Amino acid sequence: MNNAPGQITLEEWDERYEQLRRAGLREPGYGGPLGRHVGDGDRRLLKLRYDNSVASLRLWNFLLTEEDRLHNARAEGKRIVGTMKDLGTVPVMAYSLDNVVAFYPDGAWWIPCVMELSAGLLETADSLGIDESFCPVRAMLGAFVTGAHFPIPDQLVCSVGATCDDFSAIAQRLNGLGYPILWWEIPHRRFPEVDEAAVRLPGGFCAPKRQVEFVKSELERVRTALERLAGQRLDDKKLSAGIQKANEVRRYLAELRQVTFTAKVCPLPALEMLIAEMLAIHFCSDRDETISVLKELIDEVKTRVQAGRGVLGDDTARIFWVNPVADLQVMNLLEDCGGRICGTEYLFSHALDTIPEELPPAEALARMALADPMVGSSVDRAERICADIRRFGSEAVLISRIPGASHCALEGEVIGEVVRSRLEVPVLEIEVPPVTDSIRPTLGTRLEALIETVKERRKK
Amino acid sequence: MKTIIYTCPYVPAEWIAAHGLRPSRIMPGAAGSTSSVGRTEGVCPYVRRFVNEVIMNTQASGVVVTTVCDQMRRAFDIIMRRCELPAFLMNVPSTWQSVAAHKLYLDELRRLGEFLVRLGGKSPSSRALAKVMLEYDTARTSVLATRGYLTSSQYSELIAEFNRDGKSGITTTINEKKPFTGGIPLAIIGGPLLREDFGIFDVVENSGGRIVLDAAETGERGMCAHFDRRRLRDEPLIELSNAYFGSIPDAFRRPNNQLYNWLKRELACREVRGIIFWRYIWCDIWHAELHRLKQWANLPVLDVDVSGDEQALTVRTTQRIHAFLEVLQ
Ligand code: SF4
Ligand code: SF4
Repeated sequence: MNNAPGQITLEEWDERYEQLRRAGLREPGYGGPLGRHVGDGDRRLLKLRYDNSVASLRLWNFLLTEEDRLHNARAEGKRIVGTMKDLGTVPVMAYSLDNVVAFYPDGAWWIPCVMELSAGLLETADSLGIDESFCPVRAMLGAFVTGAHFPIPDQLVCSVGATCDDFSAIAQRLNGLGYPILWWEIPHRRFPEVDEAAVRLPGGFCAPKRQVEFVKSELERVRTALERLAGQRLDDKKLSAGIQKANEVRRYLAELRQVTFTAKVCPLPALEMLIAEMLAIHFCSDRDETISVLKELIDEVKTRVQAGRGVLGDDTARIFWVNPVADLQVMNLLEDCGGRICGTEYLFSHALDTIPEELPPAEALARMALADPMVGSSVDRAERICADIRRFGSEAVLISRIPGASHCALEGEVIGEVVRSRLEVPVLEIEVPPVTDSIRPTLGTRLEALIETVKERRKK
Repeated sequence: MKTIIYTCPYVPAEWIAAHGLRPSRIMPGAAGSTSSVGRTEGVCPYVRRFVNEVIMNTQASGVVVTTVCDQMRRAFDIIMRRCELPAFLMNVPSTWQSVAAHKLYLDELRRLGEFLVRLGGKSPSSRALAKVMLEYDTARTSVLATRGYLTSSQYSELIAEFNRDGKSGITTTINEKKPFTGGIPLAIIGGPLLREDFGIFDVVENSGGRIVLDAAETGERGMCAHFDRRRLRDEPLIELSNAYFGSIPDAFRRPNNQLYNWLKRELACREVRGIIFWRYIWCDIWHAELHRLKQWANLPVLDVDVSGDEQALTVRTTQRIHAFLEVLQ
């Protein structure tokens, strides 16, 4: 069996799986050949290229079995809370309770891609008046109405205020269809006024103390609702323990990002890195397992780095990627064109920062929620991107626009301007729909042009 | 007197005026609509026009932008980068049912006050604020009293004029002694109108209808509630906050049932027989309400999606309004 790091197709993975199994592969309960997920309708899997490590096999299986986990949790009597438009705050609270599972309905964003539009979710959203002028998260509406992709949560919690219009509008539509929602307000993060008490947030931004106090009071409302749902108290002790666990996930992810993005040869492909980062949002419905999955990935990556081995050549262009892609295949495409990911801002950098453990837990969470790059100005977000570009040594920035997304209309211009003026690195903006098959040649040409520019600049 | 411009109905003119500055709720027009925002696809045309209007404005001393929608919130970043005009971004919470949300709005008013003082305004005493509020309230009441006695376009233009110029420039003359009757009663519901869109009222009238409810953001819906006289005397700032944040119904609020409660009452008492739904392309906030409104209202709804690229109403929109009214005859 060839154990050199590399990328393989789904078919190749299934052959490899058999070999590994015969060689004594040990897997968690959700393990198995990746190919079986195609039977669930996840047809895009057939067109992706995967990392060939056992650690990545576990990562993919973990991701693709979330629905089963949620059904099992319900069967065990656990309560399910849908944390909407919330990238990493309420899930930390929910997992501090032993009988609550948090789940991220917005993740339906990727269903049209993974099922290659065969699930009919976008059509359902269309029929409810939410057409393609909205971001692909509209698939979530279809998923709720059809009830076919996840169990309907016992409680829905949604942040509003300084969020995108797409999600706010769609969540309101959902509410109008009879799904009760607990709304909590996240205000636009602003600079403290002169003489106003200020607080430093995880990740480096600053906010007025009174904004932190406000968010804290909003999170207290959420805490009360969770307690009611769970039928038990969520005291500070439990919350602090939950924060410590969440930080464990975040530290592993930070290490994984640092090692992978700065390695001379790319040790883990962009696609697996994207999925690993997503685990930070709500732990894919199992926090402890998330930790184990990440540990194994880090071990694999470190082993590869120490051996000087990787999945791509050593002259690939180091790209910083902004916004997640609606079509996962584009991550493969970047690598086909000669690029690798060295730095990301997938809308939730704050969910990768550790939550302060020395503060009262509700205050720590409030600070973390306000550190969300999307709740402040695009200039703030661009500054954070610049800091990470320096840290990871990225050579170009790719802003991947999300079709219909309210923030993408204006932020790309600002981010591009700030990055160019601060760092003089090339910036390219592309738009990635849920299935890119028809525009693949054009996308490829644009990515190649960016990568050529990077390589030309190296010669100077 | 220094002028402070804004477009959001949740910015209280009284608060600016009480600081000794001139509030002007502007209504953007077509002029210079191509320059300031690089991209057009995905950008709400109203936001685009507002940004251009602010950048090209040479009279104003400051601009207030609010967070009622993501695009406006982000438009603030563009304004800050493209022009020198002092700008203030006011957090207007989407939630409204909690005390904390009201308190946040009130805090933001105080912060706005500090901004106005930095621009040369003077922090008002409660008494001074109450006096200004009373003047505005009286003027607003007289504007509202003209409803039915003016053509629908005159009435809505009067509201726009009141918003733009405050109490001073207002004419409350009722041209006709007898109220207007006739025409199929329609409502216009949705986002704000652009300056050149007032023609829609005449188009409706020429087609045999009459707008009896202007529930566009620039119409009656975007006006604050009448002030309670006792509270105005005792705690004017809190009353101001209640009348604006507590009362103006809008699609962006979460939940937004307040909007539907308001519409239910107004549509019924004005015996509305059809709705013109006014929305800008790329405006998710209003677009998402269209389907719900159609199911909820039990009235015919004409969806007018405005691209904002035209100088005025398109021939297509005019023809659709004709056809809509023909069906309602
Ligand atoms: S518009 Fe952006 S932030 Fe909002 S749901 Fe879509 S991708 Fe997420
Ligand atoms: S029309 Fe819609 S997108 Fe445009 S400013 Fe108003 S709420 Fe925002």
